[in-house]
Amino acid sequence: MQVIENLKVKEKVYIETLENGLTVLIIPKKETEKKFIIWGTNFGSIDSKFIAPGENEITTVPDGVAHFLEHKLFEQKNGTNSLDTLTAIGVDANAYTTTDHTAYLYECNDKFYEALDEFMDYVQNPYFTKENVEKEKGIIGQEIRMYDDHPGWQVYINAMQCLYQNNPVRIDIAGSIESISNIDKDILYKSYNTFYHPSNMCLVVCGNFEAEAILEEIKKRLLPKEIIGEIQRIYPEEPEKVANKECKKQMEVSTPIFVIGIKDKVSKENMVKKHIAIEVLLNMIIGKSSKLYQTLYKQGLLLEEPDMQYEWSKEYAHITISAQSKDPKKVYQGIADTIQEYKKHGLELEHFDRIKRKIYGDYVKEFDDVADIARMFLADWMKGVNSFSYLEQYNAVTKSYAEEILKEVFLEDKTILSVVEPNSSSKEEK
Amino acid sequence: MKEKKIQIKEGITLHYIPTNKFKNNMLAVFLTTPLDRKTVTWNSLLTAVLRRGTKTMPSQEKISENLEKMYGASFDCGVEKTGDNQVLKFYMESLNNEFLPEKENLLQESIDILLEVVWNPYLENGAFSREYVEGEKHTIKQLIKGKIDDKAKYAVERTTELMYPNKPYGLYKFGYLEDLESITPENLYTHYQKLLQECKIDIFASGDIDKEELVSMLMQNEQIQKLQDRKPNFICHADASELEIPKTPNKVTESMNVSQGKLILGMYVDSKKPDDKYVALLYNAILGGNANSKLFQNVREKASLAYTASSSYIRPKNIIFIKCGIEIENEAKTLDIIEKQLQDIKKGEFSEEEIEICKKQIISAIKGIPEGQDTEIIYYYGQEIAGENVSLEEYIQKVNAVTKQDIIALAQMINVHTVYFLKD
Repeated sequence: MQVIENLKVKEKVYIETLENGLTVLIIPKKETEKKFIIWGTNFGSIDSKFIAPGENEITTVPDGVAHFLEHKLFEQKNGTNSLDTLTAIGVDANAYTTTDHTAYLYECNDKFYEALDEFMDYVQNPYFTKENVEKEKGIIGQEIRMYDDHPGWQVYINAMQCLYQNNPVRIDIAGSIESISNIDKDILYKSYNTFYHPSNMCLVVCGNFEAEAILEEIKKRLLPKEIIGEIQRIYPEEPEKVANKECKKQMEVSTPIFVIGIKDKVSKENMVKKHIAIEVLLNMIIGKSSKLYQTLYKQGLLLEEPDMQYEWSKEYAHITISAQSKDPKKVYQGIADTIQEYKKHGLELEHFDRIKRKIYGDYVKEFDDVADIARMFLADWMKGVNSFSYLEQYNAVTKSYAEEILKEVFLEDKTILSVVEPNSSSKEEK
Repeated sequence: MKEKKIQIKEGITLHYIPTNKFKNNMLAVFLTTPLDRKTVTWNSLLTAVLRRGTKTMPSQEKISENLEKMYGASFDCGVEKTGDNQVLKFYMESLNNEFLPEKENLLQESIDILLEVVWNPYLENGAFSREYVEGEKHTIKQLIKGKIDDKAKYAVERTTELMYPNKPYGLYKFGYLEDLESITPENLYTHYQKLLQECKIDIFASGDIDKEELVSMLMQNEQIQKLQDRKPNFICHADASELEIPKTPNKVTESMNVSQGKLILGMYVDSKKPDDKYVALLYNAILGGNANSKLFQNVREKASLAYTASSSYIRPKNIIFIKCGIEIENEAKTLDIIEKQLQDIKKGEFSEEEIEICKKQIISAIKGIPEGQDTEIIYYYGQEIAGENVSLEEYIQKVNAVTKQDIIALAQMINVHTVYFLKD
């Protein structure tokens, strides 16, 4: 096993790639009682068009299949549901789907190995029937409806639709009630057989483990699988231009909420280093101690520090700045002006260094909770990154590099504004 | 007990919670005061004003700059409702010195900043700054109005109001719009001084911290030295106000622009025996606490009516909320299924196995308490306010001791108080 140690956070990761192609990452944590395991496949909501290994023809599946499959994988041939079984063992089990991966997980203090039997069994043994697939449509339909009432989700997905013309990141992870109505068991099996091969998956454990011992336990429970070829994923060509500069939707909210998005290019360059620089820049532009934030706060235009993210995968990259404001346009303008000013006059060194210190603390803090650590290693693996890289690359981010990134990424014509605003006359509309 | 309590002054307690699981040290100051229609808005505004500046760091900008220099230490504050109390919470989190790239002592600095925010605010002419008070009125106004933004939470909030009209627990923790106008920098400052003299004060320190060092840092702090003994004014859970019981459950339907209906049932546990709280915990788990529960299995898995179908037990008030998100037209159908589940538990139609599953789940959650710094602080605070001293081990024993007969017996004493439906 390969071992990588990080002296700053005093943690280690053990990495092993098994013969069948499965990657296993083990992060031992001696101080904690909690144990966490997560098994992810590189199959998310954007993977709806592909050529399966050994085939020549393109398969297109309805939107929302990865998420639907996540719900159904718990179903067992003997009529039981593995979520119930795991709960009954006494562990806390769950699953989730993102744009680029699907993950199954549980955490516990005791009964880890008892649960591991069930866990590794259900992820490796799908059982879909006409009835159990139909039944799930009502449940997922209500999940979609729940998000329909969620202003934060609506404003985000609208921002994606502004940023992207074709990339499926613009589509809701769960699909729509219409798209999921077309899902059947054959589609689920096809997707499972294509994407749930060990070579497309990564298993991460974090907690009080001996690396060698837990690796053996995992190997024992793996079903033999033939090596298969590569999956060819087909994504639509995405132009550099944004789809729409602006989008507004009306919902029953007290104050408008907004997402400002900045579209970036996916590139072969060092994305981790770029990511750190962007985090520093965002904090300098609109973070709590920035002049802009203080001004907007005093004017009552922001109530708290916006949420700032750089989201990227192998297929897309963008910045989001989200918050609530009575006048999102003014916040947008303030950000645009500050970016211009920083471009013109450069960054102030004292400010840059201070924010870098803050970011250092933020990265160290990510190594506290076993669940957060494992999720982070999995999500980063999907992008081809080892999570320690952020601490390793930290020193390489200089002020002049950040200034370069500012000029390259923070472009006015790549910036969009998505708003959900109150609609007092919503009743009359009906 | 892992937690060590140290009385600093009468009514002021330091809770020392040693742990080596985290990269951070977490400090907190909780000011506890009875929830009261007359002061609820004042306290919520006060908390917001205090975070704006201190004597040595007169603006938020200055506070933030200092925190950034301290490797992203974080300060946060807000108000919460715990039983019939309003709690003003102030948190400070910073890296343990062991994980700093250079040798520094962030603990000392963190204590100083936290205590200064609470006890040494920025003042102008012997009162709070007018700019800060007016600015934060605006913030609080938005928070109060923002109650409607999360429809699922809003539905629970409305149910609580309907169950406790004119009672402390029915109050909204951020307060009321109409109260804001009469608050001035001067009268808010007078209120602040009175609050500080009367409230219950709890200080928490969680992390890899040396006890002697911590105590000496606190005792030498000038804010602490200024504090006076007090007979703290707060409501112990046992003395909390009662729910008025309707002859038949209240039924309230309200409209909003929603695409999914939110169905909430507020229920009460009509028992005052302290150990019945552990029974109620199990009752709730069987009803809607996990994936094996009656609500999840019957409303969601069998009938496909919902994605969320669960229940939660509010221990300080001894009440349970059932929560379902459903198609609006399915209200009656869902209520029938829920009613059947409540009757089934009353009749004892649940297995020993279901009880075992729920016990395991609850115990696992109890064992998880020390895995989070805030969860551990909240646990010990809950004990403090309840006037109890139950260790996690005893807590597990109490849960394990609950029998099927206990649950059936308690189920007879659990009734629906209010059925609330939020639809379009």
